[in-house]
Amino acid sequence: MDFLDYVQMTKGQRIAYRIKSFFTGIPRAIGNFFKIVVYFIKTFFVAIGNGFKNYGRRFSKGDAGTKLSYIIMGAGSMMHKQIGKGLIFLASEIAYIYFMATFGISYLSKMYSVGVQIDEAGNMVDGVIGRERAMYTKNLLGVESISNLDTLDNSNQVLLFAVMTIIITIAFIAIYVANTKSAYASQQTISEGKTPLNFFYEMKMFLDERFHVTLLTLPVVLLMLFTVLPIIFTIFMAFTNYDKEHQPPGSLYWWVGFNNFADVFYANPMKSETFGKILVWTIVWAIFATFTNYILGIVLALLINKKGIKFKGFWRTMFVITAAVPQFVTLLLMRLLLGDNTGLNAMLGTQYPFLSDATWARITIIIVNMWVGIPYTMLISSGLLMNIPEDLYESARIDGANAFQQFTKITFPYILFVTTPYLITTFVGNINNFNVIYFLTGGGPSPSNYYQAGQTDLLVTWLYKLTINSSDFNLAAVIGIIVFVICAVGSLITFNMSKASKNEEEFS
Amino acid sequence: MASNSKKAVALVLAAMMAATALAGCGSSNSGGSTQSTAPSTDASADASADSNASGGGSSAAGGAATVDVDSEDVQKQIKDAIAQEAEATGNKISMTLWCSGDDLTFEKSLVEKFKEKYADSRYKITIRVTGAIGEDNAGGKIIESPKDGADVFNFADDQLSSLVEAKAIAKVADLFNENVKANNSEDSVAVCSYDGTPYAFPKTSDNGYFLYYDKRVYKDEKAVASFDEMIKTAKAANKNVYFNLGNGWYSTGVFFTAGCTVEYKDGKQTATYDTKEGLSAAKAMCHLAENAGNGFVGSAGSSGDNATVQQGFSDGSYAAAVIGTWMAPAIKKAIGDENVGAAKLPTILMDGEQKQLHSFGGYKIIGVNSFSKYPTTAQALAYFLSTKDSQVERYKTRGLIPTNSEALASDDIKNDPALKAIEAQKPYAHPQGSSVGGKYWASNIAGFGNEIVTAKGKISDADLEKKLKDLVTQFAG
Amino acid sequence: MTNTQQSSNMQTGYAARRRAINIVVYVILAVMVVIWIFPIIWLIIQSLRGEEGISTSYFFPHEWTFNNYIRLFNDDRFPYGRWLLNTLVVAVFSCIISTLFILMVSYAFSRLRFKSRKTFLNLGLILGMFPGFMSMAATYSIMELFGLKQSLVALVIVYSAGAGLGYQVAKGFFDTIPRSLDEAAKIDGATRSQIFWQIILPLSKPIIVYTALTTFIGPWTDYIFVSYFMKDNSDNYTVALGLYSMLGNQTMSEYFTVFCAGAVVIAIPITILFVVMQRFYVEGVTGGAVKG
Repeated sequence: MDFLDYVQMTKGQRIAYRIKSFFTGIPRAIGNFFKIVVYFIKTFFVAIGNGFKNYGRRFSKGDAGTKLSYIIMGAGSMMHKQIGKGLIFLASEIAYIYFMATFGISYLSKMYSVGVQIDEAGNMVDGVIGRERAMYTKNLLGVESISNLDTLDNSNQVLLFAVMTIIITIAFIAIYVANTKSAYASQQTISEGKTPLNFFYEMKMFLDERFHVTLLTLPVVLLMLFTVLPIIFTIFMAFTNYDKEHQPPGSLYWWVGFNNFADVFYANPMKSETFGKILVWTIVWAIFATFTNYILGIVLALLINKKGIKFKGFWRTMFVITAAVPQFVTLLLMRLLLGDNTGLNAMLGTQYPFLSDATWARITIIIVNMWVGIPYTMLISSGLLMNIPEDLYESARIDGANAFQQFTKITFPYILFVTTPYLITTFVGNINNFNVIYFLTGGGPSPSNYYQAGQTDLLVTWLYKLTINSSDFNLAAVIGIIVFVICAVGSLITFNMSKASKNEEEFS
Repeated sequence: MASNSKKAVALVLAAMMAATALAGCGSSNSGGSTQSTAPSTDASADASADSNASGGGSSAAGGAATVDVDSEDVQKQIKDAIAQEAEATGNKISMTLWCSGDDLTFEKSLVEKFKEKYADSRYKITIRVTGAIGEDNAGGKIIESPKDGADVFNFADDQLSSLVEAKAIAKVADLFNENVKANNSEDSVAVCSYDGTPYAFPKTSDNGYFLYYDKRVYKDEKAVASFDEMIKTAKAANKNVYFNLGNGWYSTGVFFTAGCTVEYKDGKQTATYDTKEGLSAAKAMCHLAENAGNGFVGSAGSSGDNATVQQGFSDGSYAAAVIGTWMAPAIKKAIGDENVGAAKLPTILMDGEQKQLHSFGGYKIIGVNSFSKYPTTAQALAYFLSTKDSQVERYKTRGLIPTNSEALASDDIKNDPALKAIEAQKPYAHPQGSSVGGKYWASNIAGFGNEIVTAKGKISDADLEKKLKDLVTQFAG
Repeated sequence: MTNTQQSSNMQTGYAARRRAINIVVYVILAVMVVIWIFPIIWLIIQSLRGEEGISTSYFFPHEWTFNNYIRLFNDDRFPYGRWLLNTLVVAVFSCIISTLFILMVSYAFSRLRFKSRKTFLNLGLILGMFPGFMSMAATYSIMELFGLKQSLVALVIVYSAGAGLGYQVAKGFFDTIPRSLDEAAKIDGATRSQIFWQIILPLSKPIIVYTALTTFIGPWTDYIFVSYFMKDNSDNYTVALGLYSMLGNQTMSEYFTVFCAGAVVIAIPITILFVVMQRFYVEGVTGGAVKG
């Protein structure tokens, strides 16, 4: 279905088509989602299978050098006249073995118990163990202090180092495989009667054929260290009892399986009810916040960009200024402007509970969010409006379309088509919108049946509060995983739907 | 008990002397435990204790054989111990002190004096004073992550039990303990102990609340005898009475009034709110909240107590407020010194009769982080901050009521109206430490009051009972 | 003849109607501008208010003063000057590192073809869907291991180490640069590194400005990470957390006007920057993200 075909349909046909394509799109989108998931899993295992197959094949076909490099890394390269490369492989093997011997193994072995002592029956003993093992000494003045603080096992440290060891091991396996491949490749080069590339030439390749390695190495390493590692660590936390009462090194935490997930979904009425309510509000909020801003932002852009309106720059700048002032400033200000006894209420002598009554607060938040967000949408859709190909309008005018028809036939469909990905990112962004909620109401008002949360809290602000205020790190991790799943599933499905209904080439 | 600790002090002193003798020989014996030294010098203990007692004319309070911490000998001992601690970190000591943000400038000045007093060529002390973590949640933050916590921290006494249970707070050193005990009021010393062991240094005795009122609206204390009367008068003057039911610290007073037992023991929180008494208290709160927005303000909204009270008195919309001494300067500034009245809390209508409103009465105390790298220095600092001189100065600069017995007996402090109001409220004031722990504050006790105020008290008994039940479950955690 | 007259009649009628519509539009715009600008004006007025307290029952203060700005930079309890410096340092360093990373990664993904490129792209997409601060407790532990606890360096790392994930917009931009440029340069013997530095980057000013702008504004206004990472260390606060701490229960009424002054000071540079650079911002978003 071409966009132009679509434009040429009558109104009734269009509506029918839209409704039809929407509903026919849903199963396909969901189907596609599962297809993608299955595809990923399949590719993953096929890749691993192939990896092993090739690994074996290279070994059986390899010469002595190649075979040797399966045990002593770099041996193959060195025997195939690639000394420099071989030395690097060898060095990495030695470094890895040293790392594992001095450090890695001990932490990996502790991972099962996370540093907690285990009694004869194999059960984990209560987490006060960390403290119980503390040794107190008194100095000459009678001042008591803990003398063995550094030697107390710390579950945090154990888990973190263990995860680090796993990541390093995976990286090492990659190098190891590369080593066998390289040995085999150079063996083949020699058997073809050519000389393998020398070290300096290979180094130079990092500026050309292998430039992507040069570009990606540093960002990826840092990403691994400060994003991937913490995320894996946090996912592990979701399966422990790392909460206020289990704070290492004072007291340790240990594995509790899926208990935390059970708590959130059904086992703990307080937590699961809170979760349910917050989830519903998060989705309601995300829908309202996204579409109010989107529609009104486009309307505002159209008003400003309307032909014959003067001082376009002035109008735009006025709105851009409010978008440019940092959100924490404007939102904190709004909090006081809309407080029970302050700001507007003080000036008007009233006591409207803008932010202190749940229903009021929810509506206020959505309205304030419009204040915050409309200028952004205006700015972006202004940019888009200027990009609409003029010939579309011209042909429409020739067909005798008036301004309104031009809008409904060209402008709106165009913007909708072009901004669907933007809509998705905004929607995901609103599910994760921390600022508006936290600075305006702080999640409040908090009734007595919410666990560490209030009636305007989103999942992410709840996550934040669980981390900052109540140190329920395990629960926070569970919420984080759930938010991830919602965002991933939601955007995959909508992305598929928009892809299906959109002819990408049309406007690119 | 007392004689035991006296003996211990004597032992310690003896040990110290022995140690100085050794240190004088140039040995650098670092971090040794006394457990081995003390018994071996047992013989000399009695003698040194005697000499101390006879020469102890300068010691503060009568009779007890307290050690004069300021004597040259002891000062030298402390400095030696500090020097020893500093050795491990390159002879540099760097510590953190948490205090209330309001007191920041003042506490900084005290810390300067401390550094002056313990200046020594062997080490250098730097102390970062920050008001970022207030006294209300310092304990919680220390427990949450002791390693990130301050070495010395000011906190409200109710946090002591959870700190001790988390083993996050250090015992008061024997050397200072006797002095603390002898010089401060009995109650204040008691709240610094857990199971008879002292863990903190008392600092101020005004961590409670009472009534501040505008004398232009209420002529005398009789006019502020009951909430109902007060609200009527305030309404007539187009003003409000402020009592924050949306804050558990205040609303618990109503539950106490009804006779609920609120207990925190061995890490377990209990409160009998799901009983007849609890319902009476909740209904009394509803009765007050009926006037919400019309002569009565029962919630701080999003701005918090202090800001609300300050705002209310400065724009003339408040006639009285249930709050504590820390707001005295602001209220005085808003309505003028001469118009500020202080009294015990009014009565509240409960089950058809007027009952005296109960409250929390507590202390602000100073603790030492048990994970501190410099325990001796930290203890010395905590002790210094709690001495009589420091307390008197704190009263003069910050208006905070001391715990030191001598200071309390002095003329300017004795006649302080706030102190009088605290004294009058005392029979109805409950200690925090044994009543409430962390779970109590983590519960939705605040939300409970807020809901009542928002609904203007129009909540059915069944709903109230359900909410109270929810609260009790949350305490149990 | 009649034809043109008719159309000119139609035109005058059309013009009158259009003028009427335009007046309505002007009125709507004016009302909206008032609503949108009102809080900003209120902020500025409050920052010049002489009376203490959270708010007044009147709009214009009875006493105008610059004292709040003077107090802002001379306060013992809230060292705003220091916070401002911290914020600037963190934002500048994060901006430089992040911009570099983003350009490097997006260029590699956009214009270089290599094995496992797709895998990397998908992994990036997945990682990007975890809530940003979900793992901050873990990151804090890592910083602790490196001895960077509560330091500004830790903040710079947090803001820029994961920057590579934000490649989508810049990648979209690089995708639009014709491949023939690369081909021509390759024939002339240029390496891929030379193409990147000498040919593509000079062409990418809009996206560089866009990336720098967003990576600067992020740390400049972030509250979440600072609030968890700095804990009690108020010397290392950035302005966002510092200003937030001014509005604590204890200090709100005393410091509200100072807060407003501080907010004005932090907002001015970023507002000017944004207004001046808005063209690049729009180009970045519409050129990259929207096209997907």
